[in-house]
Amino acid sequence: MRVIWLWLALVALALSITIGCNKSPVPSPTGITPPQTQAVAQGGSKVYKLGVFSDLTTTNLWTLYGSGPDNTVWNLYVLAGGHPSLYGYSDQRFDWIPSLAEGFPTPLKEETFQGRTVWTAEVTLKKGVQWSDGKDVTGDDFVFTAATVQDLQLTSNWVSIVDPEFFDHAEALGPHRLKVAFKKKPGLSIWQFGIAFMPIMSKAYWEPVVAEAKKQGDLPAIQKALFSHAPQNEPTAGGFAFKRREKGAFAEKVKNPGYYFAGSVVTEYENGAYVEAKPGVYSFSAYGEPSGAKALEYTTGPFVDGVIFSIYGNQESAVLALKKGEIDFLLNPNGVQRGLLEQLQGQPGIATIENAANSYRYLGFNFRRAPMDQKAFRQAVALLIDKEFITRTVLQGAAIPAYGYVPPGNVFWHQPKIPEPGKDLNRADRVAQAVQTLKAAGFTWETEPRMGRDGSFVEVRGKGLRMPNGELVPDMELLAPSAGYDPLRATFAIWIERWLSEVGIPVRANLTGFNVIVERINNPNGFDMWMLGWSLTNYPDYLEAFFHSRHAVADGLNRGGYANPEYDRLASQLLVETDMQQAKQIAGQLQLFLAEDLPYVVLYTSPVLEAYRSDRLKFPYTDTLDGIQDLSGMTTAVVVE
Amino acid sequence: MAGYLLRRLLQVLVTLFLFVTLSFFLIQAQPGDYSSFYSLNPKLPPEVQSRVRAQFGLDRPLGEQYLLHLKNFATGNFGVSFSHYPQSVLEVILERLPRTAALFLTATVVSFYAGFFLGKMLAWRRGGWVEYSATISGVALFTVFTPWFALMMIWLFAFKLGWFPLGKFLDPLVWRNAPVSANQVFGYMLFTGAAIAVILFLAMLLLAQLGLRRRGWLPAAVAIICVASAVIAWAGSGVGYLALDILKHMVLPIATLTLISFAGTMLLTRNSMLETLREDYITAARAKGLPEKVVRDRHAARNALLPVVTSLVFSLAFAVDGGVITESVFSWPGMGLTLLDAVLSEDLPLAMGALVFVGLLALVAHAVADVLYVYLDPRIRYQ
Repeated sequence: MRVIWLWLALVALALSITIGCNKSPVPSPTGITPPQTQAVAQGGSKVYKLGVFSDLTTTNLWTLYGSGPDNTVWNLYVLAGGHPSLYGYSDQRFDWIPSLAEGFPTPLKEETFQGRTVWTAEVTLKKGVQWSDGKDVTGDDFVFTAATVQDLQLTSNWVSIVDPEFFDHAEALGPHRLKVAFKKKPGLSIWQFGIAFMPIMSKAYWEPVVAEAKKQGDLPAIQKALFSHAPQNEPTAGGFAFKRREKGAFAEKVKNPGYYFAGSVVTEYENGAYVEAKPGVYSFSAYGEPSGAKALEYTTGPFVDGVIFSIYGNQESAVLALKKGEIDFLLNPNGVQRGLLEQLQGQPGIATIENAANSYRYLGFNFRRAPMDQKAFRQAVALLIDKEFITRTVLQGAAIPAYGYVPPGNVFWHQPKIPEPGKDLNRADRVAQAVQTLKAAGFTWETEPRMGRDGSFVEVRGKGLRMPNGELVPDMELLAPSAGYDPLRATFAIWIERWLSEVGIPVRANLTGFNVIVERINNPNGFDMWMLGWSLTNYPDYLEAFFHSRHAVADGLNRGGYANPEYDRLASQLLVETDMQQAKQIAGQLQLFLAEDLPYVVLYTSPVLEAYRSDRLKFPYTDTLDGIQDLSGMTTAVVVE
Repeated sequence: MAGYLLRRLLQVLVTLFLFVTLSFFLIQAQPGDYSSFYSLNPKLPPEVQSRVRAQFGLDRPLGEQYLLHLKNFATGNFGVSFSHYPQSVLEVILERLPRTAALFLTATVVSFYAGFFLGKMLAWRRGGWVEYSATISGVALFTVFTPWFALMMIWLFAFKLGWFPLGKFLDPLVWRNAPVSANQVFGYMLFTGAAIAVILFLAMLLLAQLGLRRRGWLPAAVAIICVASAVIAWAGSGVGYLALDILKHMVLPIATLTLISFAGTMLLTRNSMLETLREDYITAARAKGLPEKVVRDRHAARNALLPVVTSLVFSLAFAVDGGVITESVFSWPGMGLTLLDAVLSEDLPLAMGALVFVGLLALVAHAVADVLYVYLDPRIRYQ
């Protein structure tokens, strides 16, 4: 009897679920679907499906750039492209090109404003660019955004965008004419690559929010109120409007039908010329005469109705989802693991891409301690490290050997004449040259290292290495991340310890936690050598931040304490240089200085490996520094079949 | 009993205080602090890092920070999460708790039920191939490398056979225009489950009082009415298809968790049953001529239930803690990953909040288990 009842229960349950799960129309509550996106068809609409590995923590751009913790690449992937900026980078080459601006700005001019001297530049904005609420994007929006950053003293990334040390004020000279004033003459990093890249917020939407926040009293409370605001139906001037976020699961953006740049054609010529035009609307050309062979040509979209960012907890599941066609592309700053990429290679309907990363891992020296303070020692260490052997033989291509202080992929700013010490030398020659370098500087051994007959190994290990002042080279420590955190750097550290020890340099690799390394190197006298890495920006003002002696303080970025007055002078000049070609020349000189002085031995960069559904997607190009993930998946240019 | 409960409460408070103190200093013992993560951003000058430290109170002396945490704990305010600034710790926990609870509570109950049922059978039919195969496979699954096994389950049942989704707790295409959030649906589902459990429990008590419990069809009828009412309510809600989507996504992780963990309960039940079967009252029951099924289910299994229920209560408390591996492999971000990320990034308020939350539940579970002993075994009395 009981069994019959149980069967009846199961049947009833199944029937009820079937009835209950027939989707019934439920009115959408206010706030979920932005008015400007309601026209987007749901059935059969083209959706670009992206996989990500972490949840959004904010949909508020003030918070993204202002709170610190929310400044994650995952937030950026979703929110990128929604807010216009005056200027931007061209595809692949990273030329500085107008975006909201109609053309290049007027040259900087010194003038007097309210009794003080300021440096000003004027910019004309494109006419007809609109927010998705139908209002024009005007100079007032720019003025409002910059003034809010200034008034509320927003920190974190806003500081590097609107530098309070330089920015004075902005003024709308008309709806489409803007004047930006600086307290002192700004360099490229402050103006062209700083505030000119500022994401512009809609004044109509944000002014009341900021006014409400300002009622909160003191500055931290005001900032907190602004950061706490969760935008609902915030207007966009980008290709997509933010639609919905399901915490822990996905975020969705929908096509902005009024996107100004839709249909514009971008053409890059091999001679360096850049052309961007939308017939009958606008046209822009720069960097030479547009003639000869074309390096790139594509039309701007969006060509999809929506973009979904699905969250996966691990790469393995995400790769299975890609194989199955559940997603079209994986967004990850670290790309796809090599082992997983190999699984994807040759799969029908899937293409793989490999690009250089705009980053490097390095070995740093503490200049405050001997013998790291001696150039010959650093040069000898650089010679002894066989990057090609580790990357090719040990790591099987998981890393790319690097030499420059600006990665070669950053074509405009990279110094091509950078020397590559030890490249392609065999072991015997490396050791011989390192020994010779040290000897020439006055280093001596009790037992000099000697290579075996076949030249492949050190037969007699060096012992009793003394510095030019006669003192024994002290035991040194190389701080490096453990294999759990980064197996590549751990492998490098172990091999460096081995090679240096062979010639009598007493160094011990201490593979430890990331936090331990950071804490140790924050104390100027608490370390010898360390191994960490940098993710870099396109404009190389980091050449100043990493190596100018003014940053050689506790918690400063020049952790090794490198100090060279001539380098300092040039680096300071880079910060204030206003001419692009001059800046390029200075950056090139700085790189040569570093290659000679070797405050770091740049070790390697990791390739960004990516994969996508080639049976569904068509990208205008796939060769780009840092990969397609750096372009947030090229949502406004990708064509989905 | 009242005196005992008061003493237990006091013990809970003292233990909780020690737990909070120990957790705080253990997290603080890690090198660096939350601001370390900004020290490698070339765009953030040291002044900004200092402001981050000041903003989160990390520039204050350790003693002061400890007292602040004690105060926050005592007032139930765990402060603002560093890594989810400006969200409060409570908001973060409440956001993640429903999806963790829905998955892990269900998995725990299913796993215990499966383990109890199998354990009972193994003890009853000793020495056969069923016992050997169930024990070997149970222990093998219990000791299997969890991430590998979970990935294999996904690969086989989701990727190759296509029976279930490839992880996650919902399908974005189904939810694109959903009128409610997933957390709301999880909340409703948990409420439904809890309501059914409470109603069934009360109904069984009532039936026992009325002496109708032994009429097999009555409990079954009550169960059917409860479940059918719940399903009809869901059907009329207009969001039933969303709950079904979540249920579809729950099957594979629950199956995996059950396969991995049922062996513990199975062996516990088996051992407990074997001891019970040696008792005189089992011999007496058989001597009375009771059917074997009645002897097994009503006399042996019920008395063997005591340690199993205790274990279940503790497991339920820890179920809200989630599981880092399961959450990660099945793309089900919940309390486990939250706690791990908070500890790794030294988001002290969030780590403390999550730990205290779980610790509190564990201590309450211990107290509840003590009280349950009395209910389940009338021979036990506390002085």
